[in-house]
Amino acid sequence: MTESAAGHLPLIHFADLRVGYDRRAILPPLSATIAAGELWAVIGPNGAGKSTLVRTLLGLQPPVGGRLDRAQRLRMSYVPQQSALDAIFPISVAEFVRMGRQAPGHLAGRASRADADAARAALDEVGARDLARRQLRDLSGGQRQRVLIARAIASGANLFVLDEPTAALDIAAERTAMELIDGLRARPDAAVVMVTHLVEDTLERADRALLLDRDHDVALAGSAREVRASAAFAKIYGRTLPHHGSNGGAAGAGVTP
Amino acid sequence: MNASASWQELYANLPIFKDAIITGGLAGALLGFIGVHVVLRRMVFASSAIAQAAALGVALSFWVPIVADPIRHAAGHQAGADAHVVSSLLFEPVLWAVAASLLATLVFIANPVRLHLTRESLLGLVYLASGAGAVIVGDRITQEAHDLSAILFGSAVVVQPADLVLVAAATVGLLCGHLLLWRALIFVGFDPVGARVQRLPVRRLNAFLFLSIGLAVALCTRALGALPVFAFSVLPAMAALALTSRMWVVFLLATLFGALAGVGGYGISFRGELPVGATQTAVAAAFVGAAMLARLAAVRLRRSAPQGGAHARDQ
Repeated sequence: MTESAAGHLPLIHFADLRVGYDRRAILPPLSATIAAGELWAVIGPNGAGKSTLVRTLLGLQPPVGGRLDRAQRLRMSYVPQQSALDAIFPISVAEFVRMGRQAPGHLAGRASRADADAARAALDEVGARDLARRQLRDLSGGQRQRVLIARAIASGANLFVLDEPTAALDIAAERTAMELIDGLRARPDAAVVMVTHLVEDTLERADRALLLDRDHDVALAGSAREVRASAAFAKIYGRTLPHHGSNGGAAGAGVTP
Repeated sequence: MNASASWQELYANLPIFKDAIITGGLAGALLGFIGVHVVLRRMVFASSAIAQAAALGVALSFWVPIVADPIRHAAGHQAGADAHVVSSLLFEPVLWAVAASLLATLVFIANPVRLHLTRESLLGLVYLASGAGAVIVGDRITQEAHDLSAILFGSAVVVQPADLVLVAAATVGLLCGHLLLWRALIFVGFDPVGARVQRLPVRRLNAFLFLSIGLAVALCTRALGALPVFAFSVLPAMAALALTSRMWVVFLLATLFGALAGVGGYGISFRGELPVGATQTAVAAAFVGAAMLARLAAVRLRRSAPQGGAHARDQ
């Protein structure tokens, strides 16, 4: 893989990637390069194929066709929707964040001192150290989102994939979550891919975007500005958004109509 | 028989009953520990279905020799009470129980979505087919009907020494494996997608869990019967989860409650001349009742405490 147009090292590159189930693609082929320093927004209506694409990028299901290359140094972490976490499990915040340290060669026995230190540092970074002894299920939505991000940080990942990180948050918690996501992007050699329904706010922050809609046969990858100005965006959301700021615009991922 | 005489009688006859008491304690401890995963993963009826499959396996181990070689089987009966039981290693009830249980655990590994079914419905199928099979096969057996009843309902007063050895070996081996993989099994149960993204061997860890459930349930069902095995794999974990929110304490308490239900249930059944398995189950259920009451009392106390004690839900 070569450097992206912005000069950052690529983490994932896909060309004519087709995603779907049972060897049947549900979206048109998609080409893009996710490079360090980028925040990608994955947008589209419900049932658009966002989860299928994200699952494919995460390696949870094979692509139906095309090419998908991952950098050797790539280490991914997945931040699930809060509603996906089962409240019956009595998991403390510290235990949850230490889960991020588990790896294939590091399964048996107790968590090491280094794991505990990394978990503490991650909680410090998101401002949640005082929550370490609390139960994950007892936290508010905003607190839980901070802890979810702390686990991703503790994992040492350089590609953070977040699924609806602002769902069911109030405005203050949503702002905090977005600031933390900006912080993830700013980490060395790191990028963020974020599935979201917060289209307007996210496109203002994002460098690049993936617009998907299987019903309209749309799979569009490009700068946030390009996607925002596209006919497909207007068709799906009924309008084009006013442009603010100077994000986006870098080449490297062509628009796939 | 008055109560103190009964306890003295139990003590006096301890050499006869100690294998059953120890087996009950070990099975309770093992299933209590593993049962926390069963309850947390919301597959409570899995152990019931597997226990029922193990009971069918045992019933088949009695029935198949009758069908395969009726003359030799009848001769065995005439030769002595146990002569027919171990006529061949091939018809060893434990082997059949383990085989049937492991077959039942395939339900967990299969992907029922492809059949447009849920895992829960497949569990129902295993439970019903095994239960019906055990009753039908039991109807064809006359000499071993009592043994089969003991396995189905857990009314066995005495445990074979070989069963004690097997349950003890399974307890040590499986608990060691579970303690080693404890953190990983919790991660995989709580957040399977996150675990897969971090490249944990989720399928292999789940296979270990399901096979260990199958093995533990099969061996304990052969020794104690289906009813207490189902109870031990659900009720101690429920009691522990009601009492504490610390994960390692949940496992510790569930193991302890399981062992206590196994040993205490046996003692109470002796004293009250009650069926063993049902009494062990009742004791385990009593732990759940007591734990729920304790939980409710704790919640009430916390509510009536000054407001400063409550957790602030700040952002």
